[in-house]
Amino acid sequence: MERRGESIAAIAGGPAHSQRRGLHRGDSWRIPALAILCVLMIAPLIMAIIISFKSPSQFTRVPFLPTWPMRWENYEFAVQIISQFLLNSVITSGATVIGVLLLSSLAAYSFAQIPFPGRTIVFYAVLALMMVPASLTLVPSFVLIRDLRLINTHWSLILPWIAGGQIIGILILRAFFESLPGEMFDACRIDGATDWQIYWHVALPLTRSMLGVVAVLNILGTWNNLIWPTLTLPERKMWPLTPGLYSYMEQYYTSYGRVMAGLLLGSIPLVILFVFTSRLFVEGLTSGAIKT
Amino acid sequence: MNKTLWERIWETRTGYLMVVPTLAFLLIFQYYPAVSGLYRSLFDWNAGLVGNFIGFSNFVELFTDDDVFIRSLKNMALLTIWYLIAFVGLSTGVAVLIHRIRNERSKYLFRLFMILPVIIPAVVLILLWKFIYDSTIGPLNTILIGVGLQDWTHAWLAEPKIAIYAVMFRNFPWIDGISVLILLAGLQAIPVEIIESGLLDGASGWRRLRYIELPLITGQIKLLLVLTIMWGVQEYTAVWAMTQGGPIDSTQVPGMWMYFNAFRISRMGYASAIGVVMFLITLVATILNMRYIRSQEY
Repeated sequence: MERRGESIAAIAGGPAHSQRRGLHRGDSWRIPALAILCVLMIAPLIMAIIISFKSPSQFTRVPFLPTWPMRWENYEFAVQIISQFLLNSVITSGATVIGVLLLSSLAAYSFAQIPFPGRTIVFYAVLALMMVPASLTLVPSFVLIRDLRLINTHWSLILPWIAGGQIIGILILRAFFESLPGEMFDACRIDGATDWQIYWHVALPLTRSMLGVVAVLNILGTWNNLIWPTLTLPERKMWPLTPGLYSYMEQYYTSYGRVMAGLLLGSIPLVILFVFTSRLFVEGLTSGAIKT
Repeated sequence: MNKTLWERIWETRTGYLMVVPTLAFLLIFQYYPAVSGLYRSLFDWNAGLVGNFIGFSNFVELFTDDDVFIRSLKNMALLTIWYLIAFVGLSTGVAVLIHRIRNERSKYLFRLFMILPVIIPAVVLILLWKFIYDSTIGPLNTILIGVGLQDWTHAWLAEPKIAIYAVMFRNFPWIDGISVLILLAGLQAIPVEIIESGLLDGASGWRRLRYIELPLITGQIKLLLVLTIMWGVQEYTAVWAMTQGGPIDSTQVPGMWMYFNAFRISRMGYASAIGVVMFLITLVATILNMRYIRSQEY
């Protein structure tokens, strides 16, 4: 982009040469400055990696520099404790994301393509919930879950998470369904397809990458939830990974090597998700921002 | 429009069926709790008991007779202002830095790097910082002693005067990857022609930023302002995990105080009132933001 700007400046006889040099000079401080920032950003992780290979006595002697032999047994210990939490996370976040994708794509299709009377009002009723913060609903939601006798079941996470997570999904998917050519849907209807068939065979396949964006956003949201699960799940063995890591650190605080190994292992699932969906990830995180 | 309303409703019945599951979930798990929260804030309501209607007494008590709540509001304001500086101010700086890099490879690498704080679970970063602040074995004090600044060492999260700043300055160097990516997307969406004509007019460097780029990403900045304020008012996960509001309530924030009242001492009506106050603060902040910050069109 900038390069093109300069070539125009060159044609116009402007100070292109000095400008290009200037921009190169710019790079020569910008890259080191950003590199230092990045190193500072990962410094805590590097610290965690170093400590995770230490036995308690190694930590007492040399706390923050690598020591040998590396104590892989810290990871063996952490795996045993973390794996149950990880399984719980996969169950709850997984069920939530399936529910969110199903409900929000159905509703979004209806809002975008079926002009039912009252559509605008219903849509605004959904949209208005964007303004209702979790703090307003925290206490009543807990009482509701208790009254529904869902305490100590994974449903106490999944059901409220589906309800909350589908809102942003509806917004994103509705915008996408509206951007699809209406003639295509009309043609399907003329050929005798019902809306259910169009939704399933035409709209959903076209929207696969957007579904991915919604899924990634939703998983990030539920995965990092620390406090709600500790309220509705009295038994620790039911806890997902995030509160699980917290309790793990509380419990083994003084065996620093084991704690760090656990925290690092607990970070891996999202990294894996990112590796497989990096494009959707970036799109999801910045989606909506460009249009506002 | 020669069909009756009933005919149109019958023709589009599939549309209703498709939104029914969504609406059912929203009514049960969003609208009912929200309305119930507003309603219960008017009650002296303890877990398991039917409460008494007490009008606005909870709110009166919050603002006239609850020093901890007032302190929590001050802490919330302090933290929110800091989050605005960090998430909007610093992020704009970093986004512009990355945007100006000419070497495409390094530009790509830095963009990729900005994802890192997002894919490391927030709780892991919070817990790592709790460890960094540890008074006896934490690296922060170790470094200070190492460079001969013993006097500067503190029990960072245990001293009432310092703890709130320790919570505030966690995650040094405070780069928020999502904000940077949102702003970068905005910068990259500016049409080349606008920058080119700016360059022809001699707007480069600082003036290009001030008069061309910043006005054209006000949309993104506005979004970040709204999100950050909403988040700053609500957020208490970090406080919950690092200090639970202590020592002696010095790091209390409204969310934490609500949690404490509801789930530690069972004052659910009072906690609901705190939730309502937080809701009103975010509502007012968002409306002001929408009204007074105009975004620029090309």
